[in-house]
Amino acid sequence: MSDSVFFNPSRRSLFKVAGVVAGGAALAACSSSKGASGNGSGDTGEAKKGVGNNGQVGKGRTGTAADTLFIAGFQWGNPTTFNVMSPTAAWPASSNVLQAIFETPLRWNILTGEIMPGLAKSYKVDGLTITLTMQDNITFSDGTPCTAKDFAYTYNTGKANPGLAIAAFFNAAESIEATDDKTVVIKVDSTSKNVGQVLRLLTENYVQSQAILSKIATDKLATEIISAPVGTGPFTLGTADQTQVVLKRNDKYWGKDFYGGLPVMSQIIHPIFKGNEDANLKFANGELDICQTFQSQIWKTWEGGKPTGTYLKDKPYYIPGGMPMLVFNCTKPGLDNPIVRKAIASCIDYGAISETAMSGYSATVQPSLILPTGAESKFFNQADATANGWKFDAKAAEKMLTDAGATKGSDGIYTLNGTRLGPWKLITPTGWTDWNASCDIIAKSCKAIGIDVATNFPQQAECTQAIQGGTFDLGHWYVSGVNPSSPWARFDDVLSQDKMKPIGTPGFANYGRWKNSEVTALLTAAAQATDDASKKSAYDKLDALYRKEIPMCPTMYRPDEFYEYAAVNFYNFPDANNTYAPPMFRGAGNTWMYKLKKIAG
Amino acid sequence: MSTIPQAALTEEVIEPPVPSQTPAPGKNKPAWMSLNFGPRMIVSLAIIITIALLAFLGPLIYPYGPGEKIGSLYDEPTAQHLLGTDNFGHDVISVLMFSTRNSLINGLMAGTLALLIGVTIGILAGYVGGWVEEALMGFTNIVVAIPNIIILILISMALQKTDIGFFKGIGGLAFVIGITAWPWTARAVRAQASSVATREHIDIAKLSGARTPSILVRDVLPYLASYVVMAWVLQLASAILAESTLSMLGLGPSGVDSLGMQLHWALAFQAVATGSWWAFLPPTIVLTLISFSLLYLQASLDEVFNPRLRRGKKKDLAKAAARRAKAARALAEQNTKVEVLS
Repeated sequence: MSDSVFFNPSRRSLFKVAGVVAGGAALAACSSSKGASGNGSGDTGEAKKGVGNNGQVGKGRTGTAADTLFIAGFQWGNPTTFNVMSPTAAWPASSNVLQAIFETPLRWNILTGEIMPGLAKSYKVDGLTITLTMQDNITFSDGTPCTAKDFAYTYNTGKANPGLAIAAFFNAAESIEATDDKTVVIKVDSTSKNVGQVLRLLTENYVQSQAILSKIATDKLATEIISAPVGTGPFTLGTADQTQVVLKRNDKYWGKDFYGGLPVMSQIIHPIFKGNEDANLKFANGELDICQTFQSQIWKTWEGGKPTGTYLKDKPYYIPGGMPMLVFNCTKPGLDNPIVRKAIASCIDYGAISETAMSGYSATVQPSLILPTGAESKFFNQADATANGWKFDAKAAEKMLTDAGATKGSDGIYTLNGTRLGPWKLITPTGWTDWNASCDIIAKSCKAIGIDVATNFPQQAECTQAIQGGTFDLGHWYVSGVNPSSPWARFDDVLSQDKMKPIGTPGFANYGRWKNSEVTALLTAAAQATDDASKKSAYDKLDALYRKEIPMCPTMYRPDEFYEYAAVNFYNFPDANNTYAPPMFRGAGNTWMYKLKKIAG
Repeated sequence: MSTIPQAALTEEVIEPPVPSQTPAPGKNKPAWMSLNFGPRMIVSLAIIITIALLAFLGPLIYPYGPGEKIGSLYDEPTAQHLLGTDNFGHDVISVLMFSTRNSLINGLMAGTLALLIGVTIGILAGYVGGWVEEALMGFTNIVVAIPNIIILILISMALQKTDIGFFKGIGGLAFVIGITAWPWTARAVRAQASSVATREHIDIAKLSGARTPSILVRDVLPYLASYVVMAWVLQLASAILAESTLSMLGLGPSGVDSLGMQLHWALAFQAVATGSWWAFLPPTIVLTLISFSLLYLQASLDEVFNPRLRRGKKKDLAKAAARRAKAARALAEQNTKVEVLS
């Protein structure tokens, strides 16, 4: 999925990129008379790890390009600001994408569910108090030290300006303060007592310089244009224009001891493409090293001899991390009936979505808000999901409607209790390829059983406004993925009554405005559960209520991030046979920046 | 002064250099047989009829439906499914037949609507003249000045939000194309109607008490018939292409197969990059054939309706050239004799 952005790149910068790439490619081609790729064994016979899924590696680039990592899939438009607080911050200043310029206090590992050290070398939870101890000798890229005071100041901007994204921290925490230069103490909100949510936010929000932030008026924090960002990360911003964002390695990076050295690449270039198609073409041609885009039938790239790879070597190739939802607007006549919602959930051909729209990258979904794989699997109740859930069965779906007294009209559409089931529009942003195709399948599935659903793919901003404002019929949208506080965060996103807003007012959870009197207590109980057994018990109750009411239903398991690489210049990428890091860009995914190896030496 | 030999003149009359398009009266031939259906028309009609038959009758005998999932994402062609599957796992041939049918229906609806609007505005402006002409042509010129594709995209996006059933289907798209494609027809028809309006038979019709609508339909429109038919054929072609453009941009009607939608999904699911030619090549070829055959038909109709553009067969042209040469020689001999005698 992508935002298509049309831009007018300057010819000079285009020539620069083309020159670097073409020059590198030409030099690489000239440097050897052999083919463009090898079999993953060096001249010494040592087997290389983290190579293409077909065992192939490229010959490596030479010159400047040999020390450059080309990355794509994060920035689709002209980078206007590198202000972390801005909702339109450019990569990599945009929240929680890659710890290149800015870093978070803690890091999350999607594979193990582990919360790992970041700027904080340790954290301790004592009841509703979390104490973090900072790493030694942290400095910003301008050479000034980064202390616990910078950490606390950054997070406290959310208290001063509730319009900032970081303000969400204070939904889960009461206070954050630096008791000395190395210690930060956080008091968890005593009502929600949601320690997991606080830890999650510590893995997602960057620490910034107090000296810089304090010079910006509080009400301008989100709108200030910053073109020379100063962070603690291993890279600084080189240049940024309509064609690319270039990061330069900070050789004075504080973390070279912590990570065992500096990043392997001296610069990272993110070319800016119009959409997935352009990025995928460059990836397949070996002009990108690592990518985060949806690529239909990615296996064809390595079957065609390219040294491309994914974390998993067989389907689904990616680690499931997200659960896009079909969101029902429960205020609309017809959709306010849980029988209709269950009939729709039962008529969807989930297998077709997984196999075709998702290119086989998803297992068929379960009727649950808990991912049945990975860190959340310990909370998944398969027996209850099977007994009280739903699965694709068009006849059973239609029977639900007829059993409830629905009658089919001459147009083939059912009417239930005097309400015609449709016409309803199913919206999702245009250009989100896999989601658009999923919606097409859902609409056809509904029509097949007598529910009038048509797709509509508006621009992303318009769609976001409709979903958040509750002015839609049906929407295909995302909720919380896998993170340190999931699956609680997902239950909260789907079922929350506290965060529900009136129609027309933007809301960030319970988009369908589903009302229920018992769920708040269940959510609180789940948030406060301290051990896995009590958590599972709470999640069982929440999931049972969810299966009864179905305010949303999952359509696929999507990777949290599409992690795909091309071993054209580097190898030793993390994969299922080389598990030193998770297949991530955010959080603990930064480890691979330090561990990659150059093919050309 | 010289005279042309009678024999030469007789030959010219009997065998004109260019085959006669209008048979002598009283030969009892149906009127349509007097038209010159050249090879261009035969080829274009054959292509159109073949495509239409496949589109409208093909689905009745083809064993797979367009919404039937018979495979996976871009399964390669097999003996059972000659063009493999598309990104939804549907049989490409089946989808192609339905897509072609819908595209043709869309073209017919949109082309006819555009023609009706264009002819109505053009004939009124051309015949009535005065401020009516100024107003109608002023409005037409404004519409012409706005880039067509922008209007198409904006109206298509607006219609996607409507709850009116007609506008959500292929009829809605045809309506959008129809109401934006008429200006050039209106301008051309207006010029023709202005010319016809000055002819004597119009005065006679007026003197005989005929009302304006009657004059427009009975005395003006028949004189524009040939042009209207050609304009309609061109409108069909452009409407089908416009539908494909909009659908390829993702602005086509929801859940409706069309040639443009096939290309849209093929691009979205990287059929080109993954070498799945069967997903994008067939709709492209059908689209090309439809456009080509309609444009070819229009060109051949132009020849039928406009004698100056007619082209004979090579052997007829050769015979005519030989006759002219013979006549010239005879004339030259005659002149020589006259000079000797004088």
